[in-house]
Amino acid sequence: MSTSTVTRTASPLNQLVKALRNAHVQFIVFGALLCLLPFLAKAGLMRNSTLSTLAFVLIYAIIALGLNLLLGYSGLISLGTAGFVGLGAYLAAYFQDDLGLGFWAALLAALVIPTFIGLLVGFVSLRVRSIYLAIASLCIAEILLKTFEQLDWFTHGTAGKQSRFPVLFGFQTDRSTVFIIIVVALVLGMMLIHNTVHGQLGRALHTMRSSEVAAQAMGVNVLKYKLFAFSMATLYAGLGGALYLFFLRSSYPSTWNLFMSLNIIAMVVVGGLRSIFGTVAGAFVIFAVPELVLKKLPVIGDVAGLPYIFSGLLIVLVIMFFPNGLKGLADLVVRPFRRRGQAPTPAPSQPETEEVAPA
Amino acid sequence: MDLVLQPFLRSLETGSVYALAALGIIIVWRTSLVMHFAQGSMGMFAGTAVAFVFNRSGLPLWQSVLVGVAVAVALGFLVDFAIIRRLKRATAVGKEIITLGLIMVFLGLAPIVFGTDPMLLPRFIPSGDIKLAGANISYNGILNILIGVVIAAGLFLLLQKTKLGLAVRATASNESTARLMGVPTRSVTLLAWAMAGVLGMLAAVMIAPTTTVTPTFMNTVQVSALFACVLGGFQTFYGPVVGAYLIAVLSNFLKLYVSSVWGDQLMYLLILVFLIFRPNGLFGKTYMQKV
Amino acid sequence: MSDQEVLRIDHLSISFGGLKALDDLSFGIFDREIFGLIGPNGAGKTTVFNCVTQFYRPDAGDVFLTVDQSRLSGHDRQAVDASGQARLNLVGRPVHSIIRLGLVRTFQNVEVVKELSLLDNVLVGGHVDFKATMAEQLLRLPRARREEKLYRDKAMSVLEFLGVDHLAGQLAGGQPYGVLKKLEMARTLMAEPRLIILDEPAAGLNDTETEDLSQTIRQIRDNYDCAVWLVEHDMRLVMSVCERICAISFGKFLALGTPSEIQGNKVVQEAYLGEQE
Repeated sequence: MSTSTVTRTASPLNQLVKALRNAHVQFIVFGALLCLLPFLAKAGLMRNSTLSTLAFVLIYAIIALGLNLLLGYSGLISLGTAGFVGLGAYLAAYFQDDLGLGFWAALLAALVIPTFIGLLVGFVSLRVRSIYLAIASLCIAEILLKTFEQLDWFTHGTAGKQSRFPVLFGFQTDRSTVFIIIVVALVLGMMLIHNTVHGQLGRALHTMRSSEVAAQAMGVNVLKYKLFAFSMATLYAGLGGALYLFFLRSSYPSTWNLFMSLNIIAMVVVGGLRSIFGTVAGAFVIFAVPELVLKKLPVIGDVAGLPYIFSGLLIVLVIMFFPNGLKGLADLVVRPFRRRGQAPTPAPSQPETEEVAPA
Repeated sequence: MDLVLQPFLRSLETGSVYALAALGIIIVWRTSLVMHFAQGSMGMFAGTAVAFVFNRSGLPLWQSVLVGVAVAVALGFLVDFAIIRRLKRATAVGKEIITLGLIMVFLGLAPIVFGTDPMLLPRFIPSGDIKLAGANISYNGILNILIGVVIAAGLFLLLQKTKLGLAVRATASNESTARLMGVPTRSVTLLAWAMAGVLGMLAAVMIAPTTTVTPTFMNTVQVSALFACVLGGFQTFYGPVVGAYLIAVLSNFLKLYVSSVWGDQLMYLLILVFLIFRPNGLFGKTYMQKV
Repeated sequence: MSDQEVLRIDHLSISFGGLKALDDLSFGIFDREIFGLIGPNGAGKTTVFNCVTQFYRPDAGDVFLTVDQSRLSGHDRQAVDASGQARLNLVGRPVHSIIRLGLVRTFQNVEVVKELSLLDNVLVGGHVDFKATMAEQLLRLPRARREEKLYRDKAMSVLEFLGVDHLAGQLAGGQPYGVLKKLEMARTLMAEPRLIILDEPAAGLNDTETEDLSQTIRQIRDNYDCAVWLVEHDMRLVMSVCERICAISFGKFLALGTPSEIQGNKVVQEAYLGEQE
């Protein structure tokens, strides 16, 4: 932590190891590795369909990151995620294609408008009991779904909205470039969440989840922080929606149903509440495993409801037997190789808080 | 045809369905302090079982419903026994997420167990209706309304007047104290989940004739039931029942007089606005934190 | 102890479902005093705390806190008198605004965050001191980083003061009860309060730890220059550490005085004896 130790052991390898301890460096390295994937696909080393699946994994990871702040850190449930993602997608399409305002305006609209609606919904429901947010967001999702089906000038109804790859800084993007845009968004999203949770904001959210009365006694305006968490979740949902549209270039109302919201909850739970990399892993398990593995299994691969059962059972089993999800699993594997840690307490999430911003 | 009385009677019919589903949610809430999001899905599963038995075995409808009761009780027992009561250390949010997981499990399971073809379920009383001051109501509609009212009233009496009801209310108000006082809280909770299952199944069987039996046919009922609880408040058993009928009436009249497409959505918005002014619902009291 | 009152409870009443939990209760606490509130079970001790800290809204009565000018903002500034202080009525204020005025409490069943380190838990007590906006924190702008560093050092020194700094990096979950109690106290000290409310600080502690606690309470008063108000069942602790004690029963005032006065008080003795029958 202090500068003296750095000068003492300044061999390049040590410095590299030290740099990798910094979470932001980890995110950037992770992103850089992901950026190689489109080139693998271009070189024929990876199927294009696999690249698409991975792109959706990353988009879902972004959405799930936002939800993790809400569910994991704040202990609040939203059942409206899919509605906000869909709204982001349609707004991006509307601003880019119908209004012709370009990539940035489309992105901004997809970020701002869902967040604003989220704030309104949160304000109405969060004043009572936390669980009201789940119900209110569920009904907003129903309203949005109906809007997607009915508001023809905006969404093109059930026929589906068609879009195209965006033009960015005068360049026409393609699948690979949009993939890289998604990666950049993911890395930025991870950094922002990391900053949020390692500081006063994160501590306030933690305290609020653990005990609302204690949080209030310590001066935390509970409503304000709940609203913050929910608006972050909707912000990430809107972002995910815009990226979804830019990558797939179409949107159909039926996509944005309750089961997408539930799947995203499954990603957070399976990956590990309050874990950033865990959330990405969770998105992979919930989205890519059914897509890449389950569907290819003999006999049961054809069963229509299989992905639902897979997600649902994982939620139940993880909460029952493995409350820290994949993150907990990783800790279990890594622990013997670390210095003796703490007693087996609920959520060992310590290493990251150790490194403070350098003075 | 009467344009006020007719939709009102229709609303009472759907209101009964919502009321039963809402009662299931509230019973689980009061005994386990868990929002039972899978109420509709479990009702869907048991209701689909009824349709399956009815269509495949040729049993009369009432016997098929008895099979449905057995399925619903078994599901309720299973969920509480195998999952909920094993979650000693999980928070309420953890348990609620479990019920969300259960939605997906039952949704995926239904087509595997009962096949993917949509099924039909007839009404209890196939035909016949009576005229009432210019409005029509079918015998089946009257039966549905009666089922809703009788069950709601019966449950109310059960909870207020019997020893069992006392046990449920004691568990609801403070589980650990109730246990110390000798209330068999585990059996009470088990019973609550089973009761929720049966209520959900009944709601499903009652709404089924108006639609086809598919894995999603209970979605509207689930959303409406949750909203009935919010509207009526979570502190009483009668609040959600009143809420359920109000929601049905509101929805039907909005659909008829304002917009056939946006009726339900308008109603959702109205309830959200209502929450601003009465956050604890119609019959809710201000909820006081224990410090 | 000084003769200026830091807190004055004035004709406080509250009832739950027709049952009077507090009945016209009045007393005051001096600056830098160690004050005890005692009473048989169900006397309404914790209810007093909850009414003072605004978790409950009293049906009648007022709670006045003497607040230093530097802690005031907005409209409250107008209430400042010649001595640079203001006497504010707490009733009706939002719960989260109370700590800012220099009044902070602990809880009967320790309410710390298991998933956070001891250090982070203490930092929660400094929540209201952070001036950086949400945006500054999200982007880790200089002010946010500077503050984080500053308060981290301060939190370390508080932990050091209570002798648990060697545990700073460990998670609160899984720590022994005694450490958690100290952690909760550390969290209150972080706010540099003028009055600390301790809700049954000795509950769950063994004899040596209780001994240790009375020492700690005095040190807190001396080092942090604040009044300490405790509700406690452990009579030995109350009698040894408190300078004045108020006894209540069924929400009603019984007596107020020094430990020896209270011990010799007939009414108080009867109230306690009544409980044992």
